[in-house]
Amino acid sequence: MTGTTDNSEVRTDGGETGIVPPDDETPSWSERKERKQGLARTTYEYFERSRREDQDLRQQSDYIERDVLGFPTWPHEMIRNLALTSFFVGMIIFLAATLPPHIGAPANSGVTPPIILPDWYLYWSFGLLKLGPLNPDLALLGGQKLMADRTFGVLANLVVVGAIAIVPFLNKGSARRPVEQPFWASVGVFGVILSVTLAALSVKNLLPIDAHLTFDLTFLLPFVGAFITYAVLKSMREGYMFELNRRYYRLRPPK
Amino acid sequence: MGLERKDDHDHEAWIEEREFTRLETVYLTVLVWLDKRLRIVDYLEILENLYYKVNMQMPKSHTEQYGLDNKFWYWYPLYALGSFSTIAYIVAAISGALLGFYYAPAATGASGDPSIAYESITMIMTDLNFGFMLRSIHRWSAQVMVAAVFLHMLRVYFTGAYKEPRELNWLIGIVLISLTLLFGYTGYLLPWDQLAFWAGQIGVEMSLSIPLIGEWVAQLIFGGFTPNPATLQRMYILHVFFLPFVVTALIAIHIAIVWMQGIAEPH
Repeated sequence: MTGTTDNSEVRTDGGETGIVPPDDETPSWSERKERKQGLARTTYEYFERSRREDQDLRQQSDYIERDVLGFPTWPHEMIRNLALTSFFVGMIIFLAATLPPHIGAPANSGVTPPIILPDWYLYWSFGLLKLGPLNPDLALLGGQKLMADRTFGVLANLVVVGAIAIVPFLNKGSARRPVEQPFWASVGVFGVILSVTLAALSVKNLLPIDAHLTFDLTFLLPFVGAFITYAVLKSMREGYMFELNRRYYRLRPPK
Repeated sequence: MGLERKDDHDHEAWIEEREFTRLETVYLTVLVWLDKRLRIVDYLEILENLYYKVNMQMPKSHTEQYGLDNKFWYWYPLYALGSFSTIAYIVAAISGALLGFYYAPAATGASGDPSIAYESITMIMTDLNFGFMLRSIHRWSAQVMVAAVFLHMLRVYFTGAYKEPRELNWLIGIVLISLTLLFGYTGYLLPWDQLAFWAGQIGVEMSLSIPLIGEWVAQLIFGGFTPNPATLQRMYILHVFFLPFVVTALIAIHIAIVWMQGIAEPH
């Protein structure tokens, strides 16, 4: 591909793949045909004709081999995953056997239970529904709210999903490691901590502190975490990158 | 006839000319007929090649190629999270299909009497052989799937795997995580116990609070303005009919794109 680079240099595509091409040991179609008798042999004879036909067709049309550079899903990723699958399914069955779910009282619209919660993975969304105090009062409307608190909560959910969706269109380039982009790493940490604190907000009385303090901490802690992440990565950056730069940026020059 | 053109690829003429036995002729005719329509020779050849490649040397892994093993080995388990969520999805699908044999989404009334749905769950848990285990597996695989999907998203974010050629897959992933949560929510409502009923109440109120179309959405998804037997029926159809098709198709597309683009290079 890059014929101009010196052979002793590390190549941008990482050099040889290590895939062994078919050699003399690998039997050709005619050799395979010769070893067989009966139906297998006739199958191979037909294969040969079929391959020849395909080759003729390929030579006629402008046939282009695809050239994708990337970590191959087959077999690297799949073999690793198949090995992990058995452990993983075993883990699910183990959990299921040791911690079976129980069922509560049947539905009754007349009795409101003291605790109403969705499953744990929706706590953050449930927490977003409780952001009424942040819903701005507009002076123009005479201190009225533009939208109901619950509308505000549903809108907050959409805003969060939308913010996640536009990330790849804001952050481009070849940088991969958090240490290369402390800002985006701290945005990520902000999001993670916010989802945790929102979950804590949605589960009232989870923390033995004042409700107002919980509300303030919900939005304060993510900023604190993001700031610490930014500071740590920024100060780590130079020393950490020095070793990597020599190899890494020679392999993939920054855009 | 003499005027008919006989080219190299006239397989029928070739079969006649070779004077095969009766069995061979029938076999080859079927093979040619199928191959013309389904190109099965290509797949047979792939199998054949796999057979001969089993004993070959495995290709170098990415990190071997770039000599990065010493730096980033601790990232690797995180690259299996996407597969984990798929596996958990499959386990949930199998156990869910089995649960579906015994579960009835009917509710005779939200107030007072326990519903049919609730009783079918208690039947599964107490009377059915391995029923409790089955429900347990279904629930845990769902929990694990959601957890794995969340962690998978974090991994993709913090390793920058969503970047330039892979924006589309990031967007599909956001749709998938939302649908996974919806899957979990609809499943949460199916036992029709107190938690399910009041979680349904929250869902109704959320959709009612959407401006302009709120009431229409509540009618469409929940079948009313309070949780009622129609709500349970709709959650059931969403859970076992609508979402499985959509999510399975999206997962297939998601993985196909990963397959075509390759795993995002770790570092």
